[in-house]
Amino acid sequence: MVDLYSTPVMITVVLGVAGLILPLLDAFRRRDMGHKVHGSIAFGALILAMAVILARIASGSIPLGITFTDQVMADDMFGSFFSIAMLIVAISTVVSSVEYMRRVPNPGPYYSLILLSSIGMVMLAYSTDLLMLIVAWELMSIPTYVLAAFRKRDPLTNEAAIKYFLFGALASGMLIYAASLIYGITGSTNIAAIIQSLVGMDEGLRPLALIALAMLIAGFGFKMALVPFHMWIPDTYEGSPAPISALLSAATKKAGFAAAFKAVIFGMLVLNVEWSLMLAVVAVLTMTIGNLAALTQRSMTRILAYSSISQAGYMLIGLSLAPYSDLAMQGALFHVMNHAVMKSSAFIAAAGIALVIGTMNIDQYRGIGRRMPLISLVMAVSLLALAGVPPLNGFWSKFILFAAAVNAGSVVSWAPYLAIAGILNSALSLGYYAWVIRRMYFDEPATIPAVNQNYLYGAAGMLKVREPRLILAVLAFALAFMVGFGVYPAPLIAFSQASVPSSDVFSALPGGLQSGMVRNQQQEGHPQGSVVSDSSKGVDGGGGDAGHGSYTQGTGGMTDGGGASPGAGSIDADGVIETGEPVAVTAGKKGMEESSSPSSTPTGQHDDAGQSGTP
Amino acid sequence: MAEILDYTIVSIILLAIGIYGLTVKRNFIRMLFAVEIIVNAANLNLVAFSRLMPAPNATGQTFALFSIAIAAAEVAVGLALIIVAYRIYRNIDIKGLKRLSG
Repeated sequence: MVDLYSTPVMITVVLGVAGLILPLLDAFRRRDMGHKVHGSIAFGALILAMAVILARIASGSIPLGITFTDQVMADDMFGSFFSIAMLIVAISTVVSSVEYMRRVPNPGPYYSLILLSSIGMVMLAYSTDLLMLIVAWELMSIPTYVLAAFRKRDPLTNEAAIKYFLFGALASGMLIYAASLIYGITGSTNIAAIIQSLVGMDEGLRPLALIALAMLIAGFGFKMALVPFHMWIPDTYEGSPAPISALLSAATKKAGFAAAFKAVIFGMLVLNVEWSLMLAVVAVLTMTIGNLAALTQRSMTRILAYSSISQAGYMLIGLSLAPYSDLAMQGALFHVMNHAVMKSSAFIAAAGIALVIGTMNIDQYRGIGRRMPLISLVMAVSLLALAGVPPLNGFWSKFILFAAAVNAGSVVSWAPYLAIAGILNSALSLGYYAWVIRRMYFDEPATIPAVNQNYLYGAAGMLKVREPRLILAVLAFALAFMVGFGVYPAPLIAFSQASVPSSDVFSALPGGLQSGMVRNQQQEGHPQGSVVSDSSKGVDGGGGDAGHGSYTQGTGGMTDGGGASPGAGSIDADGVIETGEPVAVTAGKKGMEESSSPSSTPTGQHDDAGQSGTP
Repeated sequence: MAEILDYTIVSIILLAIGIYGLTVKRNFIRMLFAVEIIVNAANLNLVAFSRLMPAPNATGQTFALFSIAIAAAEVAVGLALIIVAYRIYRNIDIKGLKRLSG
């Protein structure tokens, strides 16, 4: 079924062994070891897992782009990208938990559950089979229900976990139902086989496929924090321990995006006209409602939760425009990586502040900038990065996403509105980010607030406190990441570009014929999108010309027999989807007749789209 | 083909019952039932498709076994949360969960 020496299997072994040892440690302990021993073991296992991924990438044996094979997991660059993002968050969570959860009993199960959840996320990123995807989804989700409720005497934590559990259980039920419908339509759970058989799908089954698509989006949407499904997010993030909120917001949400890429964007490739519009509407709603709701909040974790919702909207721009612009998926992945670091550092900075002052209320943040200069600095930087202020990494990923939206405007008329909505929302979001920064740095406290009684390092009433050291270590890494990739984003842009296929895979399929046609006309006529494409080339500097500007290479794609665009990796590295058969052509004609062009003279465009078998 | 439709209709009815239960009921255990009903609707689909498809294969039945195990694990965690909630609130009605709001 799976190659035993592939990355996901090796990571599963590393994290799984550590995850099983951790609870056993408690059985043999002589005295209360606190969180340090367990935290160190979990940290070591996660670092080892990270090293495995990096070593595999360095060895050059990982295929670029996204690969779908007949196995349940495929070792590809896409999975490596998401795994790295999620492992960074897991490491930050583990390190900061050692201080933040110091007084909470049962460290063994706590770190064990974090590791098990990480296994689920990693397997999710690599899975190429709906069955594997759902098993990994549950392996990721079930430990987080327990982690969210880990301070079990605290009513708030319990409430947060119950809300999370109910929505999570509904989401997984819907996912399993959607998978059952897809299995009924295609007769397989393998994503490569699903793509292939959806191409020749009977038109009568189309409504069923659309229902399955909607249920998939809803199911993933609960984890991704999309707007009609976001109700649990603020409550859960507020009630859970702050490092766990970081894990939920920055890691499991990214896993939701990885799953959406696998199952919706590529799995339902044929329905791309439908889902791109669906996701675009949801993206605008998500951005706007998340930002508007965040403006009225008083609790730092709730602000970060709503900001997390709005950031999901930005990433969704990239998903919805995936068929129309090469930059879109690349920008989405770039933003996924950035958001993982920015949001986890913001949550962990909030955790550090809460350790000292004992509250998440931003009215108590007055004068924090002077009392805790280092944590406040990182908090301010990560909030500015979330807002997308230029010299930080968040700017570049938003820039690429908005450039993709403008770029795609040459194919679909509604795409530029996504960029407009995104830019307006960025300005709006600065409203609450700047409010927090103002509270920290410019508002003087009426009285010097007392330090939390339980605080480890400083005595009560001191003006300047010693800041928690491990949390500072995590924040130092995050600061280096945000500023470093803000000043020199090229390597990360190249990495995200190497992790996605070019958008040619969409136009080569019959469902995407319409967009393929329009794109060809644009090429022949006038190079409208070239401004954007040039500027984005400026962005990635020397880093990535691996397949850049491949939207000008025409829409050859798969019908030419598994032809991949150079470098960017294709959906069928193993030649799984070779649809040069007449089936594809007739299905394509059906699709075209349905869509706006009334079957008058489609032959010319047909040839352009690389389908030689026109009547 | 008519037979497969019967199973699908039953499964859609079960799905509707499950979603109704989750959205209307306010008792935690009833909501857990609703989740189970949704998963079982999917299982019914999987098994029926697996047996009655034009080209029958066993993947669907394997999937159903996995999803039964997954749902059991999920419900176990849910029941643990209920027990903790009962110790705190002496009640398992989720109407009481109103402390977190903004």
